[in-house]
Amino acid sequence: MLQLTLLKTMILMGGLSFTTFVTSSELVLVVHKDNPTSILSRSQVIDLYMGKYVAFPDGSKAVPVDIEGDLEVRTKFYDSLVGMSLARVNAYWSKVKFSGRARPPTQQKDEKAILVFVKQTENAIAYIHESSVTEDVKVVYRFYE
Amino acid sequence: MSKWFIVFMNKSALLIRLAIVIGFASIAIGFLSSQLFYKLTFNQEVAITQQSLGSLYKTIGATAATAAYLAEKDLAQEVVDGLATNEVVLNAKMNFENIEVVSNTNTFVEPVVFPIQSLFEADKSIGTLVIAPNIQYIEERARQLALDNSKAMILQAFVVTIVAISVAFFLITRPMIEIARKLHKTVPGEGNRLTVPDFHQNSELGELVNDVNILLDKTEQQFTRERKLRQEIEALEKRFRMLFENSMSPIILIEPRGNIILFNVAFETILEKLKLQLKKSFGPLLENLFAEPEKLLGSVELAFANDEIATGEFKLQTCEDSASVWVQVVVTSVVNEDLREYYQITLHDISKRKKELESLAYQADYDKLTKLYNRQGLEKEIEVFAEQERPFCLVLIDLNWFKRINDIYGHESGDEILIFVADRIKKTLRTLDFGGRWGGDEFVLLLDGADEATTKELVTRLVQRISKPYFLRKFNQNVAVGASVGAAFYPENGVKIQEIINLADQAMYIVKNDRDTDPEKSLKFAHELDTQEIIRV
Repeated sequence: MLQLTLLKTMILMGGLSFTTFVTSSELVLVVHKDNPTSILSRSQVIDLYMGKYVAFPDGSKAVPVDIEGDLEVRTKFYDSLVGMSLARVNAYWSKVKFSGRARPPTQQKDEKAILVFVKQTENAIAYIHESSVTEDVKVVYRFYE
Repeated sequence: MSKWFIVFMNKSALLIRLAIVIGFASIAIGFLSSQLFYKLTFNQEVAITQQSLGSLYKTIGATAATAAYLAEKDLAQEVVDGLATNEVVLNAKMNFENIEVVSNTNTFVEPVVFPIQSLFEADKSIGTLVIAPNIQYIEERARQLALDNSKAMILQAFVVTIVAISVAFFLITRPMIEIARKLHKTVPGEGNRLTVPDFHQNSELGELVNDVNILLDKTEQQFTRERKLRQEIEALEKRFRMLFENSMSPIILIEPRGNIILFNVAFETILEKLKLQLKKSFGPLLENLFAEPEKLLGSVELAFANDEIATGEFKLQTCEDSASVWVQVVVTSVVNEDLREYYQITLHDISKRKKELESLAYQADYDKLTKLYNRQGLEKEIEVFAEQERPFCLVLIDLNWFKRINDIYGHESGDEILIFVADRIKKTLRTLDFGGRWGGDEFVLLLDGADEATTKELVTRLVQRISKPYFLRKFNQNVAVGASVGAAFYPENGVKIQEIINLADQAMYIVKNDRDTDPEKSLKFAHELDTQEIIRV
């Protein structure tokens, strides 16, 4: 049974890898390589990006980063994470902003800038294409696992 | 105006009944339907409110979810306060992450709980939103609405009632009342007819009016016919009554036992004449009124036995001193419709006729002047003697010198002499003798059973009396007549009347002839005649 399931999973994964390969690579969430957090749940990612708990599980403050220049990537990210369009996300933030406490993520121009920001900021968290992952960052969440 | 007033005063009048029925029906329907409407409206309103609470939740759902997600108490407070401002919401509260945010202090009665879904993760509940509906307000609003509806219903019912009554009044009741009143006033025979109400030419009411008019026509015809018939009967009855009442003859209707049922004035008159009081009964066939009732009863019985009308002439029972009353009686048996038998008796007074008849008989047999038998009367008496074969002597007297007296002193004097002679004869005759005037100055005597001697004696006496002078007052003069007498015996001289008369006549003639020679001899018997002299008849 186990073997069969494994096989299925492998075939499925193979299929998925193939697809991603063709378009581009999947988005992943990365943190500073020295960040003690090694893995995050989806809920934790949502809470970080939607302003609920802007902190890592160990309690250290987190700085989520949005990509500013590539709307396509940003759209893809929010769609994947909370199933919302950018407009809705923006509406959400415009509402939340007045209540005071929560703040939308900081923005970096592109993946390059993001990688630079994450390399420089120990409590930063950002999403980039898996293909862009460098040794300076650590992947804490993958969408398709 | 007053006629309608009367219509409205009359509780059983059509319009009032109709108004009452429609009024009550519409009030009842209005009441029931408004009750039903009220309940329905109320329930509907409550349901709508529930829905509107849902809608409210949907409106503030996103904000509430955000507040719950971010555990933003201020935002949550804003949400619940916002909800509470709605008039259908009494209170609202939010629960999330052990936090409770309440709008006010009102208690939660029949609260509606909405789960707050996570904005970002499906199927994840992150808290609850509790809304206490303002039941009082909802009910009040529902009641108000229901009340308005009910009012509208009642108003509608009222309007419908008015319309129904109006329509019924103008279309049905008023024409019907008009028809009814006209019909009420209509007297068959006056020729009045109902008029078809406007707009009802082709309706049932119009038909009714036409039918009633036809009926009136027929009734009137019948009335006229019956009236005419009645008039005829009345006229006839009047005539009959007139006949009956004015009849000179008494008409009496009696029962067979004799009880009088009906009588007319003439009957009362005859009773008065008989000096009798009106009684209930005078016996069968009024027998008590008759002198010889057995004759009447016998005659009627005989006639009825032969199925004939009984008629007869009978004498009524009268007082001794009053004149006799004779009536012709007609008795008819009448059987009426219920098979009871009556006798109709008609009495015709024939007394006068009877009297006349008697007087006629008298005139026929008597001489007017001398009041003695005339020749016919004498002949009858001679017949009677002959029939009985009774012997008698027939004496024939002829006056002497009578013609001369008659010529000199006139007929009146002659008549006086004749009356004088007759008077002598009456005084001379015996009880069973008869005497009469044979004609002119001739007289005849019938001497019952007389022989020659008796006859001679009687005749001599008579002649002496006759021969005495008679004083004529008018002429102041004494006159005297004599008499020549012939006599014949029955049956000795003959059995034939004419023979006897002839013999007496011849004997008398001889005396008359010998008057001048033998004036003393005034009587000669038939048997004294020479047989040669006798002229046989």
